[in-house]
Amino acid sequence: MDHFDTAVVLSRVLTSGVIMSIERNDRELPALERLLRKVGGRPHVTLVNSVTAGLHSALAGRRLGHGDDVVVPALDDAHRRFLAWLGVRAREDGTPAFAYLSAGPADVGRLGPLLATTAGAPAVVLNLTGLGFGPAAAVLFDDEDAWRRAERLKIFGTFDLRTMWTQTEADDGVGGVQFNYRLSPLVAACVRMALTTQGARA
Amino acid sequence: MNTDFPKAPLPLPRAEDVTDELAALDGPSIIPAGLRRTVFPVITKEDVFKMLLSTRIDPAKVVADFTEAYREYVGAAHAIPTASGTSSLHLALVGAGVRPGDEVVVPAFTFIATAQAVVAAGAVPVFADIEPDTYCLDPAAAERAVTDRTRAIMPVHVHGLPADLTALRAVADRHGLALVEDASHAHSARFDGRVAGSIGDAAGQSLMADKNFPVGGEGGIAFFASADAHARAVEYVERHGIDYGMSWIVASFGASQLERLPYYDEIRARNAARLAEVLGETGLFSAPHVPEGRTHAYNMYRIGLHPDAVGLGDLPVHAVKEVVHELLVAEGVPAREWQNTPIPCHIPFRRREGFGGGYPFSLNPAAARDYAPEDFPVTLDMLGSTLVLCRELRSPVEYERLERYGHAFAKVARRPDAIRKLVGGREFPLPHEKAARLG
Ligand SMILES: Cc1ncc(COP(=O)(O)O)c(C=O)c1O
Repeated sequence: MDHFDTAVVLSRVLTSGVIMSIERNDRELPALERLLRKVGGRPHVTLVNSVTAGLHSALAGRRLGHGDDVVVPALDDAHRRFLAWLGVRAREDGTPAFAYLSAGPADVGRLGPLLATTAGAPAVVLNLTGLGFGPAAAVLFDDEDAWRRAERLKIFGTFDLRTMWTQTEADDGVGGVQFNYRLSPLVAACVRMALTTQGARA
Repeated sequence: MNTDFPKAPLPLPRAEDVTDELAALDGPSIIPAGLRRTVFPVITKEDVFKMLLSTRIDPAKVVADFTEAYREYVGAAHAIPTASGTSSLHLALVGAGVRPGDEVVVPAFTFIATAQAVVAAGAVPVFADIEPDTYCLDPAAAERAVTDRTRAIMPVHVHGLPADLTALRAVADRHGLALVEDASHAHSARFDGRVAGSIGDAAGQSLMADKNFPVGGEGGIAFFASADAHARAVEYVERHGIDYGMSWIVASFGASQLERLPYYDEIRARNAARLAEVLGETGLFSAPHVPEGRTHAYNMYRIGLHPDAVGLGDLPVHAVKEVVHELLVAEGVPAREWQNTPIPCHIPFRRREGFGGGYPFSLNPAAARDYAPEDFPVTLDMLGSTLVLCRELRSPVEYERLERYGHAFAKVARRPDAIRKLVGGREFPLPHEKAARLG
């Protein structure tokens, strides 16, 4: 990563005073979501604070959870152990419930083409940890309801903020375990910088 | 430049402001619109400089150095940095020996994450009522909730006041249970001289940027009293492939903030004491109660209402509270309810879907109860008769702002006539009869 760019982005966000993900005037998380919607060509994006949070969100979005058999893409051993911890039985013989991609510094110039390879998959887990700003991931969805359920997995996800933190009875997937999978705006800002400035140079 | 530097200073307070007409009745407000923002967290050049330096350091070392510095500050034996307070509680429970199907006793009044962390650990939260004066888990109620499947008790140091850890430790010892602290509100809070987070067998603590001790956005830390408990949590994360890691960016901000934490703690204590003085003269309002031997960290400041003290004892207290709330907000004081419903009555604990198919509630059907709000009468009383200040007292709030908050409470308390009139003829549902709020 370019240290000067990182330094500028971090100073910019710190100067704004908005470093909380639940601050309603945070602009960093929405900006990264916007970028990934555009590059990924999918209408909905959930940002999370690790790749395992991303895997969990992709499954929750598709209503898959404890006790379910799930066809998964090729995953490394730690991720398969995580799925087992969720109580999901993972198989590889069929059409995967989601696609998995990992973006490192070498990929940023070709993220669009990379994501294009996942066309047809109902969701994409995009591991952003390799960019070097700490654990981070995004889940890209076509289906609004799936994205909604993924956001509901996150305490103070987008709906809690929109309704001023009121849980409603609406049947949009609230009712299960929830985690704090919120990504820090400072991390999101750096990820966006890496995906744009370095991408443009590559 | 997009900056949080204030656009204009707040005018100095004037004693006459207190006798003006109420803002809700078209008088001037104590804190004028446009000047109501409290800057939090306070971000200084030290934070920026430290973060710039951190970009040149091995990320793992930035996180490890921060963890070690804060662990030492708290005085806990072992620590694991995490992505959030919720994940730190999960690991604290695991370290304390909580296993799938176990029961963990938690207070009915807390943030929902306390109970969700129990579910994350595969256990079933069993809810108990709070004490009327501290709003923390009632040791007697906790003891009544213990069964032979209980593995741990997890009190919450609500708003920054440590729970009664002497009594809770005695309950835990009597039944062979682990004591796990949720210290998410209680950075630097003390119980008999020991810092919250270092007292239980394990503890979890949120460090998200709206807490007294903020890291750079989202983060948490788990503390463990024994090497065994620490090793159990480390092994668990590895075995299950869970990524709960903290970003170096987040840690860097925590490292520079930690150096100023004692300063901010003093300011908060000073602000809390000053406001208590003013509230004490109003009759209508009372400051938080702090038992001997405990230091309150004042992450939030819960104010009691006493309608009888101003001749309004015949009105329902929750109706007075709601009207007073509206009057305070009109004066520019962002008072809140912070919770309006016992946690067991929130949707995730009524539906109990857990990870899917009802797991882990299905492991222990006897503990997976339907609770009614009325099961927690002390919590309901508190929800109906108190209001909360959150970040308003937290950072180095300017003297003029603090005095103006005091003036607003004094101004409202002088007007029982207006309160009575506004209560009249309106329907006031109880707080828990409205949609459950997370905060
Ligand atoms: C009492 C309590 N416990 C746990 C948490 C969860 O912490 P986090 O939001 O960092 O996951 C919070 C607050 O956010 C809290 O207030």
